[in-house]
Amino acid sequence: MAISIQPYRQEHEPAVEQFNRRLQRSSGDPDLVFSKTAIPRWLAPANHNPVWNEFFVALEGSTVRGAYGLKQEMVFVRGKGMQRVACYHHPLSEGIVDRSYASVGVLLARDALARQPFLYALGMGGYERPLPKMLKALGFSLTPIPFYFRVAHTATFLREMEALRQARWRALLMDVAAATGTGWLAIKSAQAVARLRGRPMNFVAEEVAEFSEWADDLWNQAKDSVSLAAVRDANTLRILYPPRVTNLRRLRVSRNSAAIGWAIVGERRKDPKFGKMRVGSIVDCWASPENAAAVVQAASQVLEKADVDLIVSNQSHQVWCRGLESAGFLKGPSTFLFAASRKLTELLQPLEQNRPSFHLTRADGDGLPANF
Amino acid sequence: MSAAVFDQIRTMASDLFGVPEERITADSSPQTLEAWDSIQHLNLVLALEEKFSVQLSPEEIEQMTNIGETAKLIESKLQATPR
Repeated sequence: MAISIQPYRQEHEPAVEQFNRRLQRSSGDPDLVFSKTAIPRWLAPANHNPVWNEFFVALEGSTVRGAYGLKQEMVFVRGKGMQRVACYHHPLSEGIVDRSYASVGVLLARDALARQPFLYALGMGGYERPLPKMLKALGFSLTPIPFYFRVAHTATFLREMEALRQARWRALLMDVAAATGTGWLAIKSAQAVARLRGRPMNFVAEEVAEFSEWADDLWNQAKDSVSLAAVRDANTLRILYPPRVTNLRRLRVSRNSAAIGWAIVGERRKDPKFGKMRVGSIVDCWASPENAAAVVQAASQVLEKADVDLIVSNQSHQVWCRGLESAGFLKGPSTFLFAASRKLTELLQPLEQNRPSFHLTRADGDGLPANF
Repeated sequence: MSAAVFDQIRTMASDLFGVPEERITADSSPQTLEAWDSIQHLNLVLALEEKFSVQLSPEEIEQMTNIGETAKLIESKLQATPR
């Protein structure tokens, strides 16, 4: 029977639940689930909202054989202005558990491209995972977003990492050890050396309930320093980080009472790969290049005061990477990828020149509700 | 189904799925070939489109349930295309 891809409506919810059950039963993976509700819990479409989520289901008759989400948003591309793009997320296909439906994954990706040729995907867990492989075959360009970490409580960190024996973290620690030549316990001194390269800065960080006009000023002042960024004006920020969201903290960073930047910080949800550690994250941030390091320092200090064991951040812009390094962060291997469709890649040309000033963080894509 | 189109697709599938050509028959499908997963299905679609200069619609991609059906589909597309 033919597969038809349609917007996910309430009447499809029971079929999606059955689809989820089939995937979970056959794969044994509890994470293989699509949204139980047709109306997205995060960023539901609303009048005049510049950013929203929408879901689609692949139907064989009344049976759901696949599904995916699109996060529709506006991005700023230097030299090209504003452009509507979409983030392709949570594609799930019956083909994962039943080879008769091997074609569904292709149909989902091509359907998304037909709906929005300026398409991207973010995260995905590394080049060897099925989704980035499929996107690469479809002509997407793939770029890793650098990953940084800073250990706040060395003893806890080492104990947990040793207990967990996480291959990725062990590899990362081995890299640090190799770089310093003194073993795992060199982490703290490596961080201290890195931090010495930075300089003390004069700033005040205050937690705010929501973003207002000052965030518009910052957006307008800094957007020409990036080659690509999702719009981060006050209106969009209020939608992404509304006052009711209490697990993410909105920081306004100022100098001499004038706002110089902002950051979103939060504690990541408990994740088996981090064991019992409390992991803080610099989720999102914005400032002119000259103030990026101050915002990183401010965000780090707030997280350290919150007593987290480890602080992590993914940042693609070279200025923010340098800011993290000057605040004592170390760079680790990244499995957080940015995949841009052919059309979007064309828009981002010259890619090699523009790539270092993409502004992509953990707040982009679809990761906010899943990780915090 | 023309032997020429079938043979070309069999060679293509052999390369993609890493299976000797003699093991690929008209009945070979995602159920019988371990390597024929959703990514290889996409690669097969892209390889067919490039090799035969055709564009496959979603409905046609679904018809590719095995090598024989895929060959029939491509043959009908080639016949319908003015050369």
